[in-house]
Amino acid sequence: MSTSIDVSTVTSEGHDGARQLAAARTHRAVKVYGSAETAVRALDGIDVVFDRAMFTAIMGPSGSGKSTLMHCLAGLDDLTSGEVWLGETQLGRLSEKQLTRTRREKLGFVFQAFNLVPSLTALENITLPLDLASRRPDKTWLDHVIETVGLGQRLAHRPCELSGGQQQRVAVARALASRPEVIFADEPTGNLDTSSGAEVLDLLRLAVREYGRTVVMVTHDPVAASYSERVVFLADGKIVDDMAGPTPERVIDRMKSVGEV
Amino acid sequence: MFRTTFKNLRARKRRLLTTALAVTIGVAFMAGTLVIADTISRTFDDLFADATEGIDAAVRGSQSIDVDFGPEARNPVPETLVAQIAELDGAAAVEGQVSGYAQFLDKDDEPVGNPGTGAPTLGFNWNEVPELNPFELTDGGPPSGAGEVVIDRGTARDGGFAVGDTIAVLTQAGRGDFTVTGIVTFGGQDRPAGATTALFETTTAQDLVGEPGTFQEIAVVAGEGVSEEDLVTQIQAIAPAGVEVLTGEQYTEDSQNQVQEGLSFFNTFLLVFAGIALFVGSFIIYNTFNILVAQRTGELGLLRALGASRRQVFGSVILEATIVGVIAGVIGLVLGIGLASLLKLAMAGLGIELPGGAPVVTVRTAITALATGMVITVLAALVPARRAGAVPPLVALRQRSVEDRALPRRRTIAGGVVTAIGLASLGYGLWGEPGNAIQFVGLGALVTFIGVALLAPVLASPFVKGVGGLIAKLRGTPAALAEKNALRNPRRTSATASALMIGVGLVGFITIFAASTKASIDKTIDDAFTGDLVVASGTFGFGGLPPEVADEIAALPEIDLVSGMRFGPARVDGEDTGVVAVNTDQMARLADIGISEGSADDFGVSSFGIHEDVAEEKGWELGTPVTIEFVDTGAQTFTVDVIYSENALAGPWFIDTAAFEANYAQQFDAQIYASLTEGASLAKARESVEEIVDPYPAAEVQDQEEYTEATAGQIDQLLGLVYLLLVFAVIIAVIGISNTLALSIYERTHELGLLRAVGMTRQQMRSSIRWESVMIALFGTILGLTVGLVFGWAVVSALADEGFSVFQAPVSQLVVIALLAALAGVIASLRPARRAAKLDMLEAIMTE
Ligand SMILES: Nc1ncnc2c1ncn2[C@@H]1O[C@H](COP(=O)(O)OP(=O)(O)O)[C@@H](O)[C@H]1O
Ligand SMILES: [Mg+2]
Repeated sequence: MSTSIDVSTVTSEGHDGARQLAAARTHRAVKVYGSAETAVRALDGIDVVFDRAMFTAIMGPSGSGKSTLMHCLAGLDDLTSGEVWLGETQLGRLSEKQLTRTRREKLGFVFQAFNLVPSLTALENITLPLDLASRRPDKTWLDHVIETVGLGQRLAHRPCELSGGQQQRVAVARALASRPEVIFADEPTGNLDTSSGAEVLDLLRLAVREYGRTVVMVTHDPVAASYSERVVFLADGKIVDDMAGPTPERVIDRMKSVGEV
Repeated sequence: MFRTTFKNLRARKRRLLTTALAVTIGVAFMAGTLVIADTISRTFDDLFADATEGIDAAVRGSQSIDVDFGPEARNPVPETLVAQIAELDGAAAVEGQVSGYAQFLDKDDEPVGNPGTGAPTLGFNWNEVPELNPFELTDGGPPSGAGEVVIDRGTARDGGFAVGDTIAVLTQAGRGDFTVTGIVTFGGQDRPAGATTALFETTTAQDLVGEPGTFQEIAVVAGEGVSEEDLVTQIQAIAPAGVEVLTGEQYTEDSQNQVQEGLSFFNTFLLVFAGIALFVGSFIIYNTFNILVAQRTGELGLLRALGASRRQVFGSVILEATIVGVIAGVIGLVLGIGLASLLKLAMAGLGIELPGGAPVVTVRTAITALATGMVITVLAALVPARRAGAVPPLVALRQRSVEDRALPRRRTIAGGVVTAIGLASLGYGLWGEPGNAIQFVGLGALVTFIGVALLAPVLASPFVKGVGGLIAKLRGTPAALAEKNALRNPRRTSATASALMIGVGLVGFITIFAASTKASIDKTIDDAFTGDLVVASGTFGFGGLPPEVADEIAALPEIDLVSGMRFGPARVDGEDTGVVAVNTDQMARLADIGISEGSADDFGVSSFGIHEDVAEEKGWELGTPVTIEFVDTGAQTFTVDVIYSENALAGPWFIDTAAFEANYAQQFDAQIYASLTEGASLAKARESVEEIVDPYPAAEVQDQEEYTEATAGQIDQLLGLVYLLLVFAVIIAVIGISNTLALSIYERTHELGLLRAVGMTRQQMRSSIRWESVMIALFGTILGLTVGLVFGWAVVSALADEGFSVFQAPVSQLVVIALLAALAGVIASLRPARRAAKLDMLEAIMTE
């Protein structure tokens, strides 16, 4: 089942096969926060390719640059140097407006918390990116997504009336509704209990297996990581390992060697 | 505990400043008003102190009538008294004083100054006694003959007049040409308090601005070693009846008091608007503190959990309000001094010239400004502070819900009750036919205002859902989000809108009231005046057209009926007021005054005509004797011979011109009404009349339409001033909207970041904030206009008996007001929208 490629051998130029397969990739991505003495190299020359229709987890100790990498991949933040590609598009070349449009048309997001707009109902939150783009939602698809995430009864509720797990499921539904090319999730289960977390992770896996989406998920949790097909390990802004077909045990072992308990 | 207050304040300097701004403007307005008032009264005090410095005793008529506007009227004193006083041991020097209306014409024959709306234009006699002459000659010498005049340096400079030039002066004797013999200043000033000054030799002055053989006052200088009191006693011994004697000190004080009295109306008028601005400002403060407390709920809960008492939390919010208030007071005071000059300029632009020199800032002004800023802020923060004190410690441990949608029933009920009371009072005033209808209506209006403000949160949701929903349908997702946000906290939305409601409500009310007044004037004049031409003297109660003008007009072959209209101060049935005099037999045919009892035909020297309301109020009927006192002739008995129903032209009562001539020393027509002989051409008649009034440049010949327009047009000037003053309230309301939005954005940082992340463009973000602002503004405006409309209608109806025959709501103007309010909403949103659009998305997402 694994279609993983050894990223260390892949450069962005010259590998047509990899290019076509890549949903997102970076080339010598460097992100420096601050300047001079206080400068922090959050990303220190990252080359990574995320294959289409694959569920990839990013792991690493706190402060290793996971969120930064994800933000840069998603066009929420820009690189200090290097390139980020989303399919055939280099994000660095896009204007602010084009970036925004790209986000709402090609990307889906699931954050750790505060995923939903409190004044909108669950359904309104799900269709928000479509509404912002003035796109009519595909009714059949929408119904299907809603059914899949199991929110039929709760569509008219506001976020404050939903449990944390339900809120995250709404967020996943939103990420699926616009059929984005890539779904980015930053510790989506970080605030959930085990069973709610499992439901959300199942949904993300479903998005890859059933609907052929690409999912990139940042996580701390080895069990969560085991839902993915590949784990990229970061430390100090560098990729230190890349594991295909993770299991919780293998991930824990690996984490120990990277230096996180 | 209080350390956290200061930390809070310091951490949010900008927010503090915007919060203070809402009160600052009101305080500035008030301080500005006080500064203007003090400046004017200081100017006059100095002026009179200067002018009366050399006077040790003043002799004047003892009969006085104090009418509401203009100086008090007194009987003159006989000229012969001067020589008698001069004989007294205690008198070193004596001189009679003449003063009255005199207006210069510039080299283009245009009148200089406008005594109707600005400083007076005065004429005096030149005092030979140096102690009694407050003027300093800067050029030339005193006037010595009938054809000579000394002019003020301001007129000389502005009009380009020099010693030896000829200058035209309008007086009661008509227009005359004079040779300028000298140029004077007063206490070093070119034109004290803005008044123009013409100084004539005494006999000439009596002819032109006074009355031959008399003086208005006699000023006396005491001899060496004679006290003011001794001098007064000596004069009193020889003074005839009808004369009173004052010490110099009393005289100065009396002159100063009279001016203060005149100014107090003006000050009250301005202070009312300052009060409105402060009232609106207090809404903003209340709202801001509520939001701040809501935003700090978690922090306050933590403080409570850590052992802070309710009182400490309450106290810390009050302390914060006090500091904001003091800052607002200080800035307001400083701004107020600048605003005073600005207000003066703006009023000058509207044709109302205020005199005065350098701004006078008294300790009273400073204390009032500081105290007002503080008290208003603290009062407005009381409820939010109590709410802060009531935050339970548990909140810190729980995640609080962002939503605060529940409205306490108590408030809805209270709002309903207050509104009902207001409407009841309004209705009673309108239909219950009490004697003082307008008071019930006015009070009802005020109470209803407060009731509606209390009810506003209940109305906010349906309004935003309705109008906001419509906008959302038309304008897409950003507008829909705006609608949701405006709905999120109806209390906040409505408190913000209420501030605007008050401003717009007043603007709407004034607009409707003014339009109705004009329409009513139009209608009454159309109904009442059946003549063809009116000559308006243009001198606004200071002088007018001499009687010969009316005689000359009457002699024209094109003219049939003519009546002058004269005004004079009089005490009617013990009340200081004024009377109108007309040529009754002619006027009765020139105007339809609706004579219901009696006849105008045998209206004589002691006949009195009264309006039917007066008849009812006083219980007078045909044949009732009425005592009228005049300063020149004392108490006279008149008889009610006519009762009429239309008071548009004649006012509450009138006497005949013959009676006026018998009881007043000075004869001037303020207006002349005329009708054409049958078949005469209006154009030709007008030409002939214009020729006759040509020597009186201030006078204007009007046909019926122009006359109506000019009469109604006087309202525009006042309207302009009221609008100008209400603008402050509206500006404060707009700042309030901006402030609330800015605070909400701060509160919603997370959400805004999320919206941007899932694909909202900056432009959509801006437009969303803008729509929210517009919805709030429209809500406030529509509430305000509704309330204004109801009040306008109620007040006009209540005044139906006072001649308000027409209710008019000028639709186009009201629509313009609504559009301007929407625009104000857009302007209010500019800064918050820009901030929201520039929001650092990542930081927003990652907070917490
Ligand atoms: N806005 C920022 N300003 C300065 N430093 C930052 C900022 N965001 C992240 N960093 C730093 O960059 C590094 C990587 O951060 P992050 O990507 O959030 O790590 P992770 O998500 O792996 O915990 C950390 O050292 C962090 O302190
Ligand atoms: Mg992180």
